[in-house]
Amino acid sequence: MRPFAYVSAPDVATALHAIATESDAKFLGGGTNLVDLMREGVEAPGTVVDVTRLPLKEIEELPGGGVRIGALVRNSHLAADRLIRTRYPVLAQAVLTGASAQLRNMATVGGNLLQRTRCPYFYDGATACNKRAPGSGCDAIGGFNPNHGILGVSGSCIATHPSDLCVALAALDARPWRAREAERILRGAPATEETFREAAEAELAPATSRPQNAFKIELARRTLVDTLWRLCVEGSAA
Amino acid sequence: MLSDQGAGTASAVTEHVAATGTELSDAEIRERMSGNLCCCGAYNGIVRAIQDVAR
Repeated sequence: MRPFAYVSAPDVATALHAIATESDAKFLGGGTNLVDLMREGVEAPGTVVDVTRLPLKEIEELPGGGVRIGALVRNSHLAADRLIRTRYPVLAQAVLTGASAQLRNMATVGGNLLQRTRCPYFYDGATACNKRAPGSGCDAIGGFNPNHGILGVSGSCIATHPSDLCVALAALDARPWRAREAERILRGAPATEETFREAAEAELAPATSRPQNAFKIELARRTLVDTLWRLCVEGSAA
Repeated sequence: MLSDQGAGTASAVTEHVAATGTELSDAEIRERMSGNLCCCGAYNGIVRAIQDVAR
């Protein structure tokens, strides 16, 4: 591991000042991604800004019906929270299906969204990866890629976003992928299997696959139809 | 693990995450023990032993 400076920020202003002024500074939350990447030599921050002391650990109900989740709320805390479990069960389920209890105890909500891709070529310094070393190429394309993306990919990178929480939040109108085309077709249309199929097909029309991950297009289509059908008939996608 | 389950938390195998209490089924024990030590933390004998302690 390369030497780096360590700053434990006592407040938000100090953290922001450090990230803006120190060379190659990175925020450290639970460390379940950054520390791995530093060990692999993929990340080599000059300064690590520890933000775990910041007062961003609350889950607050907002006037108007929303909820604000602090960036430093641990995944295990989020999954155990009464408000989240009753009003946003998909978030609790997404957290509980990921990683292990030990990782969930350490990992933060902010870090879950900001973690880097889990593409094995990104982690392996002996391979070409445009995300790790821009311009070096992409060994995932033409390599072992059944776990790689079919939507939002390019000829330079087919990595996926790794956050399970992010997928759940996307369903609640956040980033990264929102099925706008499917939404457009579903809005106001009769809730029939035919409509669901049409929406799924339209959403997946721009999908690009490689031989090893081509199964995902059909899988995604069927999953969309099945989930919508269950939501409609049973009132629950669980 | 038992205090966590006793506090009413949900796990990935809990049918309704909003439920306030879960039954300590073998599936709950296996899920909640997973990641503790290794997969041998949920061997049949260990699951039975945990059930014994919980009773």
